[in-house]
Order: sequence, then structure tokens, then C-alpha cells
Amino acid sequence: MRDLIKMVVILTAICGTSGLVLSYTNQATKAPREYQLLKYVEGPSIKAVLDGYDNDPIKDKIVLKMGKDQKGKPILKNIFPAKKGGRIVGLAYDSVATGYHGPIDVMVGFDTTGKIFGISIMTHTETPGLGARIVEPAFTKQFKGFTLSNDLNLTSKGGKIDSVSGATHSSEGTVEAVRKALELFPAVKKEVG
Amino acid sequence: MGIAQEFTKGLWKEIPPFRLVLGLCPTLAVTTAGENGVGMGLATTFVLVFSNLLISMMRKFIPNKVRIAAYIVIIASFVVIVELIMQAYVYPLYKVLGIFIPLIVVNCIILGRAEAFASKNKILPSIADGLGMGIGFTISLTVLGSIREMIGNGTLFGVHVMWSSFEPFSIMLKPPGAFLCLGLILGLMNLISARQKGH
Repeated sequence: MRDLIKMVVILTAICGTSGLVLSYTNQATKAPREYQLLKYVEGPSIKAVLDGYDNDPIKDKIVLKMGKDQKGKPILKNIFPAKKGGRIVGLAYDSVATGYHGPIDVMVGFDTTGKIFGISIMTHTETPGLGARIVEPAFTKQFKGFTLSNDLNLTSKGGKIDSVSGATHSSEGTVEAVRKALELFPAVKKEVG
Repeated sequence: MGIAQEFTKGLWKEIPPFRLVLGLCPTLAVTTAGENGVGMGLATTFVLVFSNLLISMMRKFIPNKVRIAAYIVIIASFVVIVELIMQAYVYPLYKVLGIFIPLIVVNCIILGRAEAFASKNKILPSIADGLGMGIGFTISLTVLGSIREMIGNGTLFGVHVMWSSFEPFSIMLKPPGAFLCLGLILGLMNLISARQKGH
């Protein structure tokens, strides 16, 4: 019986200590882990859609509360500002819309007037060789300079964006995501200043 | 044996993957490049040294019947710490090693050293043992990774080293290449040992 109690007490003590140490490590590494995740997952896209800045947009990221989700919790959105000499010269944030197979996550970069500076597809699950070609510059370059207008539509709908051949749904999804981002811009700009 | 000997035995006489032939799963899986070998080796060394240290410290308190459970908890904690640290500071390496970082928990070198050495020895020799084994493991993985990277990709730690017309043997980066390479090194080490003994 004494043996049993000893075993239980010691094993409990070891597990408890380990739990404490781990929760501390988790807290201590939380900020750098989030930073690294953004840097390597979203970083390349952010770099591609902003230009002429001298800060680290990921370090300076601004977290905005944008609306509420179904449970009533505020949705947090990361806004990446491009600054030059401390002044904001551009903003980048991502926007999601549904493509042919699933969500297409697009990073959109704006100049201060709300014109699109560039877009970059971060994640998608489109068909390789067809829809997946939306990541190619030939498609994404077309978005530069647009604001929210009728021109920002596929040519088949009277706009000026040529869709990727054989991938209308994927192209539409991208346009949809970019339009959503543009619709958000006034609100974002107001918050960021 | 003195502390120096406890340390050096892990480097040649009992070098883990080649002599003890332990821990082969990560050895074969992650050594597609020299850099991965170093990363995996250092992560394992960290876990090995600290788990040896702690287990040696607590060897008199841990009841015999629950010792394996206690060892696993201690080892698993250090593995999670390594995983969090790697995620926070060396994210690309963390991405490449992927599932093999959490799998350090079941690396038999670590549990083997805990059971065979740290649970029976004082703190200092246990640290020396862990450090020696860890460094031996790191060297093995680095050598294996470098050879595979050089032949399979023409680079060494990401730098081009082979002549320009060299056509990489991509089989070396695939699982058969790992076995080929490991087998050849094992054979070579046996040959050297046999020579030393004068056979």
C-alpha cells in the first residue's frame, strides 16, 4: 500500500511539474512563434504586393477587429503596413473567396489612395495545371491599379481581367476575393489612419 | 570509467546509429541534406542531455515499477520544449524536420540511455554520456546527410560543390539511398575496427 501511494505521488509530481514547465515555455515562445509563422507563410506574399518601404510589415502589423463571427466574437484581421520614414505608404491584408475546389486566400496590397498595388495568392486548392495557374504573374499582374469598379471583373462579365483559360471558377474566386478586400479598404483606412 | 571516457565512447566505440544501430528511423528519414542532419542531431542531443541529467538526479526517488512512465514524461516534456523553441527561432528547419521532432520521444537512443545509463549512474557521468551520445548521433546524421546531399543534389549545406557537368543521382535522396549509404558506412567502420584489432 505504501508503495502504491509513493508511486502515485511521485508520478503525479513529475507530470505536474512537466505541465507547469511546458505551459511556461508555451507562453514564452508564443510571440516569436506567431511572428515566424507569419514571416514564412504570409511573408513572401506580403513582400510581393508591397513596394518602396523600409520597415518590417510583419513586425508592425496592426490587428483590427472586423465585424463578428457567428458566436459573437470579434474577427481579428492582420493588416500589414508598409512604411517609409515612419509614414504609411501602403497596406496589405488577405481576403478569402471560394474557388472551384475550396477557399482561395489572396494577399492584396494597396497604396494609400486605395488602388491595388499587387496581389499574390497565398493558399488555394485549385486543380494543378488548370485552376492552380491563378498564382502565375500573367494572371495576378492584371490586378494592378484597379479600384472597385465594373472593370474589375472577368472579360466574360464585361470587365477587364482575362481569366486563366479553362479555369473560370478559379479566376472568378480570385476576383471575388480581391473585390472583398477592396470593399474593406475604406474601413481599414479609417482605422489605420 | 572516467568522465572523459563516458563522453568519448559515444563518438566512436558506441556511436549510436552505426555501432549500437539505434535510432534508425530519424537517421534514415531526415538525412536528405547535411543541414537537416545537424538540426535533428542537435535537437536530439538537447533532449538526451537534459533527460539524462534529470533522470540521474531523480534515480533514487523514482519507484522501480513506474520508472518507464516517469522517463517518458520527462523525455516528452523536453521534446515539446525543443519543438516550441525550434518553431519560434528556426522555422524553416522545423518545417523540414516536421513529424520527426515530436518522434524524438520514441527515439530508442534516449530511452535506452535513460534506462541503461542515467538510472544507474551519478549526475556528471550521465551528462557526459548524454553529450557524447548526442554529439555522436549528430556527427553520424551530418555525415550521412552530407554524403546524400552531395551525391543526390550536388550541394553541401546548400552550396554547390560538385563539378558543373555532374548529374545528381536522385536515388540518394530517396529511401533506398539512405539504406545504401548507411550500409556502406557500417561496412567501412567494421573494416576499420577489424584492421585495428589486427585481423
